[in-house]
Amino acid sequence: MIRLENIQRRYVSDEVETTALKDIHLHVEAGEFLAIMGPSGCGKSTLLNTLGTVDRPTGGRYLFGDRDLAALNEADLARFRAETLGFVFQSFNLIDELTIEENVALGIAYRRDAAGNRRDRVAAAMDRVGIAHRARHFPHQLSGGQQQRAAIARAIVGNPKLILADEPTGNLDTENGAQVMNILTALNNAGATIVMVTHSPSHADIATRRIDMLDGRIVASATRAI
Amino acid sequence: MNRFGFQSLYRSLSRHKLYAALNIGGLAVGIAVFLILSLFVRFETSFEKWLPHADELYLVQSEWTVPDSPVQGAYPYTMSGLLEQMREDFPGLLGTRIRGGERGGSVIQGGVATMEDVAQVDSSFFQLFNLPMLSGEGKALADPSVTLISRSTARKYFGDANPLGRTMTIAFDEPKLYRVAGVFEDLPANTDLKASILINMPATPPPGAADYWFHWGSTSLRTYLRFPDAEAARAFEKRMPEFVNRRGAAYLGEKPSEIMAISLLPLTRAHLQPAGQESASRKLTVAALGIVGLLTLLIAIVNYVNLATARAGLRAREVAMRKVLGADRGALIRQFLGEAVLTVAVAAFLGLILAELGLPLVNAAGGLSLTLPYAIVVPGLLLLALIVGVAAGFYPALMLSRFPAASVLASARSPGGGRAGTRARELLVVLQFGLAIAFIIGTMVLSAQTRHVRTSDLGFRRDGLLVVQSLADSGVTEAQARQIVTALRALPGVKAVGVSDTAAGGGGNNNTDSVAIPGRPGSGPSLRRLTIGPGFFEAYAPRLVAGRLFDDAYGADNNSGWRDGLPRNIVINRKAVSTLGFASPEEAIGKTVGGKQPRTIVGVIDELRFFTPRLPDDPTYYVYYRDSPGESFATIRYSGDAQAMEQAVGDLWRRMAPQVPLNARTADSLFNEFYQADDRATRLFAIGSGLAVLIGCVGLWGLASFNTQRRVKEIGIRKTLGASSTDVAKLLVGQFLRPVLIANLVAWPLAFVAMRAWLAGFDDRVALSPLFFIGATLAATLIAVLTVLAQSLRASRAAPSWALRHE
Repeated sequence: MIRLENIQRRYVSDEVETTALKDIHLHVEAGEFLAIMGPSGCGKSTLLNTLGTVDRPTGGRYLFGDRDLAALNEADLARFRAETLGFVFQSFNLIDELTIEENVALGIAYRRDAAGNRRDRVAAAMDRVGIAHRARHFPHQLSGGQQQRAAIARAIVGNPKLILADEPTGNLDTENGAQVMNILTALNNAGATIVMVTHSPSHADIATRRIDMLDGRIVASATRAI
Repeated sequence: MNRFGFQSLYRSLSRHKLYAALNIGGLAVGIAVFLILSLFVRFETSFEKWLPHADELYLVQSEWTVPDSPVQGAYPYTMSGLLEQMREDFPGLLGTRIRGGERGGSVIQGGVATMEDVAQVDSSFFQLFNLPMLSGEGKALADPSVTLISRSTARKYFGDANPLGRTMTIAFDEPKLYRVAGVFEDLPANTDLKASILINMPATPPPGAADYWFHWGSTSLRTYLRFPDAEAARAFEKRMPEFVNRRGAAYLGEKPSEIMAISLLPLTRAHLQPAGQESASRKLTVAALGIVGLLTLLIAIVNYVNLATARAGLRAREVAMRKVLGADRGALIRQFLGEAVLTVAVAAFLGLILAELGLPLVNAAGGLSLTLPYAIVVPGLLLLALIVGVAAGFYPALMLSRFPAASVLASARSPGGGRAGTRARELLVVLQFGLAIAFIIGTMVLSAQTRHVRTSDLGFRRDGLLVVQSLADSGVTEAQARQIVTALRALPGVKAVGVSDTAAGGGGNNNTDSVAIPGRPGSGPSLRRLTIGPGFFEAYAPRLVAGRLFDDAYGADNNSGWRDGLPRNIVINRKAVSTLGFASPEEAIGKTVGGKQPRTIVGVIDELRFFTPRLPDDPTYYVYYRDSPGESFATIRYSGDAQAMEQAVGDLWRRMAPQVPLNARTADSLFNEFYQADDRATRLFAIGSGLAVLIGCVGLWGLASFNTQRRVKEIGIRKTLGASSTDVAKLLVGQFLRPVLIANLVAWPLAFVAMRAWLAGFDDRVALSPLFFIGATLAATLIAVLTVLAQSLRASRAAPSWALRHE
């Protein structure tokens, strides 16, 4: 489904050049649950952001299906994200001024193919992660675990082809972390493709495949025996 | 506030330069506008208050309640001999009259007359108006051969030489030699008393004035009384109806007090008091400008509070850190209040500088001579800094000091006040833009109205018209006047010269007359009576509605040698048609009205509007005198250059009547006098509201920049979720558009009520069209969009991954 070929990402600021990604080659097949691991600053998040098209590589090719994403302009990329991707972040990134329901609805707010009843889809997504009873609350009225489940509801409400999760359990205690992982596993079992950055080896073990990164390179790749 | 406090304030201001400039600059402009407009209000309400015991002085008003008459309400004039009759009936009464005044007479030097503000006053004048004397004494006026002159008049006629004992020829009723017995200080700007030369009021009516001096119903000069307190004034006023009935019976019918009352107006209120049918719109203008000043300051303060509270959240970390280091709540509140007071003090100082810089411009625009009285302004501003500083700093100070340190330091999120804070700030934007939109509507209506009166149809062409008022001067004999009119007609470029007892721009005689209607009881409705001579209709060229104009071919058109009972022809204006009870102009033609003074209507013309646009057209009739210019103005209709014509008329006048100063003005300049006060108010209003809008925009800009900054992360989330730059820009602009649109709900009713009241002061007025309201709303919306668009676009283009990392 996804092919990254020779992806490079360099930042230049104040005459200091930092290379965040070097010669990345990565294939992700549909239905895969890929975990990315590595120490802080190794380029995990940059890789995830590149996959999510919120960061553009400075070199290489990014093919999604048979589309070359480098050819798309900003507006087309925005539409691509709205229609194809779901995001889950470590710090949840819910909007404080919106209710949980409104936050979840944001997941399809920018879709032009408004298929079906939006309200029903939002309700279904909240049901799926067990957050429906908190629909009218604001993010700050919820526990961390509940906020992350709301963020997952937002990620899946649009039925995305790919879910990108950046340390989704990083801000959660063990119990809530486990809950979130259960939801992601269930989603993967139901056919969703997931790419997840994590620090937790046990959570990485839940994934179907795991890659390790160091200093902007992929240094190891392992597939879990099923 | 300790040294670190100052340092942190200075760094906070210099680090956020734009924010500091907006915050302080906006407040400074608000303070400057407030200062200047309150100076204006103070000036307008200070008239006559400079006089010693001004509160004991009263202006005698004649109040008319005459059915169907154009003369209604209270006028600040009385009969000439009223004071004499009052003194007879109320011994010990302290009063004076002022006859003449502004351009009331002339000084003749070497056979050439110069118009001066000559006033004839009673010898008791100085007991009421205790003008500061530079030399001599006020009581010298008891001598009828003596004059008192102002400092600048003394300088003008005697230079540096001592004027005391010198003589000058002053023409008032007639030219006479006077000896200068004293010099008084020039009158200040805030007075309606216009006098630079004072002479004694004669004991007997002067020549030519005898027939109206004691004629009840006439009004010719101003009468002033002095009472020790308001109680005494009221008691005196209570005795007036009986006095009017006793003295006026011979002139005003059986029950004079039913149609005429004498009332006392405290002198200090006279300046803003409307006369007769004029509505109180002068008062309204002053009040409105005062309110604009106050509201502009309010907007600026609102902005300050708004920005300060908005920014407070961004300083949460600093507060938390200070708390951790041991600052208690009191210390923090003191620090933030101190910062606020200091910031406002800086703004007040800048405002003072701006006001001082702006004052010459405002004086030029408003025809004023305002100056900043530092003795009042500086303590006032210090007090303002303290009050506004505490008011503006209190909420942020309280809010900031309440932040729980631990959670602020622990969380990445800065507490911005949440939904309630957003609502409060939105409300402030609504209030601000509501006022701004109301100001825009007001400015548009005011300028539309002032433009309207300049171009509205007066019933005659206002350009190419020169009115020679000095033809009516008592120093010009009738024979001389006829020669002058003949000579004027012969000037090249002159198309017609008409004479009449009043002319375009008003002035001259204002006569009204009861016209009995046949078959109806009573003396009939009152009509304005205009006496005209040959050439009048040629000069003004009114539109003829029915019948014909005067024509020397008809003997009955001429009123010269008119005797009781003899029918004469008149021309009436359209308004008089219905007043006299006719269904149409055509129906009026040939009908005779007037009872014992029968007058036959031969023509109906459209209204000729000679007077202020504030007053309604009067029902008027015109009578024609073929050979008597009497005390008339000459109106010259000419073609070609105005200046050349004025020059030619001036040369002719100085040749034929050097003893009388020429007073000839174009109709345009005469009408400008009617418009001046409103033009001035309009310009001040426009400046005030323009700046109010600007301050509102500054506030909106600052708030938008703050908000956009606060929403950077949200923008990142939305973009990650697939929002395009356009979506984000729409969101940000829309957020500010909503309060701006809601602001219309505040602005429209406010502006509607205020503008309706102001326009009611004009008889000739523009309609309060919805276009003003829609236009102002569009303008405000456009301004608001432009204000927030640039930063919204910039924010919307930011890369989402950067925005997500942003804390």
